[in-house]
Amino acid sequence: MAEEFEPKIVAFLCKWCSSAGSDLAGVSRMQYPPNVVPITVMCSGSVSPLYILSAFNKGADGVLVSGCHPGDCHYIKGNYYARRRIALVKELMEYIGLEPDRFQMSWVSAAEGIKYTKIIKDFVNILKPLGPQTNLRRSQ
Amino acid sequence: MVNLDDLKKEALNLLKDEKVKYIIGYTEGSNGTSAAPAFIKNPEDTDKLVWNPGCFHNLTRFLRDEKKRKAREKHPDERPVGIVVKGCDSRAINVLLQEKYIKRDDVFILGVSCESTGVIDEKKVAKKLKGKKAQKIEWDTNRNLVVTTEDGTTKIPADEVLAERCVECPVHSPVVYDIFFGDKIKRTTDAQFKSVEKIENLSQKEKWDFWKKQFDKCIRCYACRSVCPMCYCDECVVDTISFAVTADTTAEEKAQRIKWIEKSPTPSETFIYHIIRAIHLAGRCIDCGECERVCPLDIPIRFLNKKLEKEAKSLFDYEVGFDPDQLSLVSSFKDEDPEDFIR
Repeated sequence: MAEEFEPKIVAFLCKWCSSAGSDLAGVSRMQYPPNVVPITVMCSGSVSPLYILSAFNKGADGVLVSGCHPGDCHYIKGNYYARRRIALVKELMEYIGLEPDRFQMSWVSAAEGIKYTKIIKDFVNILKPLGPQTNLRRSQ
Repeated sequence: MVNLDDLKKEALNLLKDEKVKYIIGYTEGSNGTSAAPAFIKNPEDTDKLVWNPGCFHNLTRFLRDEKKRKAREKHPDERPVGIVVKGCDSRAINVLLQEKYIKRDDVFILGVSCESTGVIDEKKVAKKLKGKKAQKIEWDTNRNLVVTTEDGTTKIPADEVLAERCVECPVHSPVVYDIFFGDKIKRTTDAQFKSVEKIENLSQKEKWDFWKKQFDKCIRCYACRSVCPMCYCDECVVDTISFAVTADTTAEEKAQRIKWIEKSPTPSETFIYHIIRAIHLAGRCIDCGECERVCPLDIPIRFLNKKLEKEAKSLFDYEVGFDPDQLSLVSSFKDEDPEDFIR
């Protein structure tokens, strides 16, 4: 029997909320798929579109950017900038013909461990039928 | 109609009175259809200035060189540079002002109105002429292009030869200027994003196939980057040549430098180059269409920029290049920005 496809997810989590949220999920021993590679960034607003594309380029099947809820940003307005920038990236990806579902954004606060596990579970379920991402992957 | 003699006279006065360092304008090109950029320093050379349908270049790109040249000089000439701009180019100046790349005193703007037409697409005209060489081209008053070839003159309706961006242009006269030439004609376009919609209506697979076919042609010559008035970064993410490598730079240091994109024109790298280029121009591109014009492989690069212009307008109600004091698209936000895509 062929092995089931396990997607690789790169998650850019902001240090102040989402990273703490994922930590909470971990220390609370909540079960969630091991497909995600978390990368802590200082703020979701610091995630350049190049990070996202670079992740796809180097083999990610899905990319998640997660930050604080609007109004909760440690730097007051970083997540508002992120929201605008990522909306543009999403539109452009769709326009070029990449699967827009491979790229998601979420708001996860430090107290939302359950929400974090749910987002990852959903994301994995979305990515499994899509199969490996080959369009932007660098050929070896 | 734009009176060329007025333009020449004003240019002559500016140079005679030594109000400007030099004037960047258009002069007769060598192939009959296209004009050529000209740098006029001597008052007697102002006679060489032209204004015709082949003036499609965006001359604001040369302000980039001027700034770099000035930075190198020990005692720079502080006088402004005279520059001839069309409606679209004037918006580029507004964006450069908005980004504080240039100061308003650095330029003396000779704004020329496109009136009821615009500039031509050289390829469209060449197709119409079927191999004949044009000697002279001009607009008549009824929106026809009058082409003089060795066999006499022919009239071609403007809509058949206008550059696509001129058809979709929302402004037809400069929005910022010191002297204005021609008439201010209000012309509205109902199809500002028509070219984008053509691609938007394709299915996801068709879109991918379309762009893959286009980007596969790319040879990464970076002509689109060189010609763009907004691509003025000293160091570009796609090439690392400007990293200082000295005798002290160790091999380890060189190896550890971030290389976002490989230089080879393989499909994945070319895609990322073009996506990043488009993203970097989001809210800055004024749709002068130069990138597409200079592309040696005819990749419709403009469609990418136009798409982001459309989204900026529809999602964030942001229009580029009208107000030099507004905050840029990605360094501002509104509380009501859409967030329905966020979980």
